[in-house]
Amino acid sequence: MGEPSQRRVVIWGHLLLLCVVAVVILAYWLDARGTSLKINNLLLVQPAAIFGLILVALVLPQVFPKVPREDVPDAAQRRKELLEVGRVALLAGAFGIFVFSLETIGFDIATFVFVAVGLYLCGEKKLWVVGTYSAVFSVLVVYGYQALVPYPFPLTIL
Amino acid sequence: MLDFSALDGAYSILTSSWSAWLWLIPGLVIGLVFGAMPGISITMAMAIFLPITLYMDFLPAIVFLTSIYTGAGFGGSVPAVLMNIPGTSSAVATTFDGYPMARSGRHNQALGVALASSVMGTLSSYVLLLFLIVPVSIIVLKLGPLEMFVIAVWGLLLLGSLAGSSVWRGLLAGIFGVLLGTIGMNTAGFIRGTMGVPWLLDGIPAIPAMMGLLAASQLLNLINTTYLIENEDDRKISFAKIIDGVKLTFKSPIIIFRGATIGVVIGAIPGVGSSISNLISYSETKRNAPDGDSFGTGNPKGVIAAESANSSSEGGAMATMLALGIPGGGATAILLAAFAMHNIIGGPQFIAQNRDIVYAIIFSNFAQAILLLIVGMGFVYLAASIVRVPLRFLIPSVLVVSTFGSYAILGSLAGPITLFVFAILGWAMVRYDYPVAATVVGLLLGSLLEQNIIRTWQISRGDLGYLLERPGAILILVVMIASIAFTALSKRRRKITSSVTDPAES
Repeated sequence: MGEPSQRRVVIWGHLLLLCVVAVVILAYWLDARGTSLKINNLLLVQPAAIFGLILVALVLPQVFPKVPREDVPDAAQRRKELLEVGRVALLAGAFGIFVFSLETIGFDIATFVFVAVGLYLCGEKKLWVVGTYSAVFSVLVVYGYQALVPYPFPLTIL
Repeated sequence: MLDFSALDGAYSILTSSWSAWLWLIPGLVIGLVFGAMPGISITMAMAIFLPITLYMDFLPAIVFLTSIYTGAGFGGSVPAVLMNIPGTSSAVATTFDGYPMARSGRHNQALGVALASSVMGTLSSYVLLLFLIVPVSIIVLKLGPLEMFVIAVWGLLLLGSLAGSSVWRGLLAGIFGVLLGTIGMNTAGFIRGTMGVPWLLDGIPAIPAMMGLLAASQLLNLINTTYLIENEDDRKISFAKIIDGVKLTFKSPIIIFRGATIGVVIGAIPGVGSSISNLISYSETKRNAPDGDSFGTGNPKGVIAAESANSSSEGGAMATMLALGIPGGGATAILLAAFAMHNIIGGPQFIAQNRDIVYAIIFSNFAQAILLLIVGMGFVYLAASIVRVPLRFLIPSVLVVSTFGSYAILGSLAGPITLFVFAILGWAMVRYDYPVAATVVGLLLGSLLEQNIIRTWQISRGDLGYLLERPGAILILVVMIASIAFTALSKRRRKITSSVTDPAES
């Protein structure tokens, strides 16, 4: 007997996403039940949560698909994919730091630093371009939004 | 249906005072610019300019504000097409085909199609409004919470048919959105899922969440790409191709008419409006089109369907506002505030006593729609330049603009934090082929669904027989089931046809 032509693989990222969705739905359902068991509280949330969990169970088999042996990614492909996800993770991380530092270090400095880091991560290697663009863009966006929006933006320099 | 003496009065009002006309172009330009900026909503644009109208006469004030409304209505579709960022919830369906068109180098055509569809949608909605303002107001008054609930469910289920590869993933994305949309304090006063975060009491901020799911997630994904359009030759900005897009739109009068009718009828329903009408129009067109399978991959018909419906919702919302004095959303609420600033109260009495002014407003909107075609053409020509900007500049810049926009909505970090969390969620969902649009619509409709199902429960006291007392709801249910059944049937038919033709081709 020869080798089977198909192999079952695990899509770990999809499994993680599905776990997050399931945990959020379950936690929300339990929290809603903990708040009150009255019908005005659970009329939509409870059936929707149960339906959501059933759907998670229905999607779960798609996390373990059978793929033709020739389509199973080899080590080089996996490394390339990991690199791509790594770049996204770095940008997402920088974005997260930017968001949480806005009110601490001011919108002006946070914007300048994030645009500079973002430009570099996205492939701009000329440092004078990185510095000039980040500075000009930060000034324009801060003054532009300040003129339009009634809320004050916490600033450090501008 | 038409009051000819009032029509004559409207003509005299508009020709005797030229001051109203002077505000058309500034209003349109303001609307276009603000509508195209992520995070700046139609409501915000109108709110910023509301104080100026205090110093104008009534008609110029309303003409100015409705011009901003019309301009911003189309302006929102520019980032939807070019960057997959729907400026408003009503531009969600525009992204389905507009963005794939732009990515494949047909950005000029996509913008031309979106502009012409918007113009035609606005024009036809006001023609319909001219004749239907009285009957529409009677129907809207008869809609109860059950009907609103059924319409919202319809909008949500449609996303199942719009969803990509797996129906289960589509439904899960939608139901997950609905649950997230009910977080916070519900109408009965119960607080759930806030984890002690005070700003979640009002629910998850919908616009930052929408920007995160649809736009920021895409931007993160684009880090491994150099330009929005990879092929250098396709990046050219061509006025001729924009005109081609405009011409292409006029070849689909049925799609425009269907979109306009759906837009007016659904747009007239307070709270539901344009965020659902564009989806219903899109899915109906997809179902009826012989090339329905290509929807979502850059079919211009998808853009026509979505844009004609969302722009015509303005006419529907105006009908409710003028006839009943009920604002369907933020924009019409501001118009109502402008009415109040001039000591005028919208509603049945206003329409009965000032039909000439109502007709004058409708006529000025015809002019707005026609002028939008001209002003919009110049605007999209400039806006299309974005495809020539390298993504390494665009990604951090648009992320920053989105963050400022999300901060501007609430004036706190609640917006940016929501944007960030939903950007990560959206990125993961797109990666594993979940339709993020379903989550967005679920999120927008979650609280509306809950509010209306609770009201229905309270009115009916839990008696299912109440449904039989609501023929309107039964009618909507029948149309909904028929629409979904037809969608399933046509999908099956297409599958059979392609399985028959494919072996022959190969």
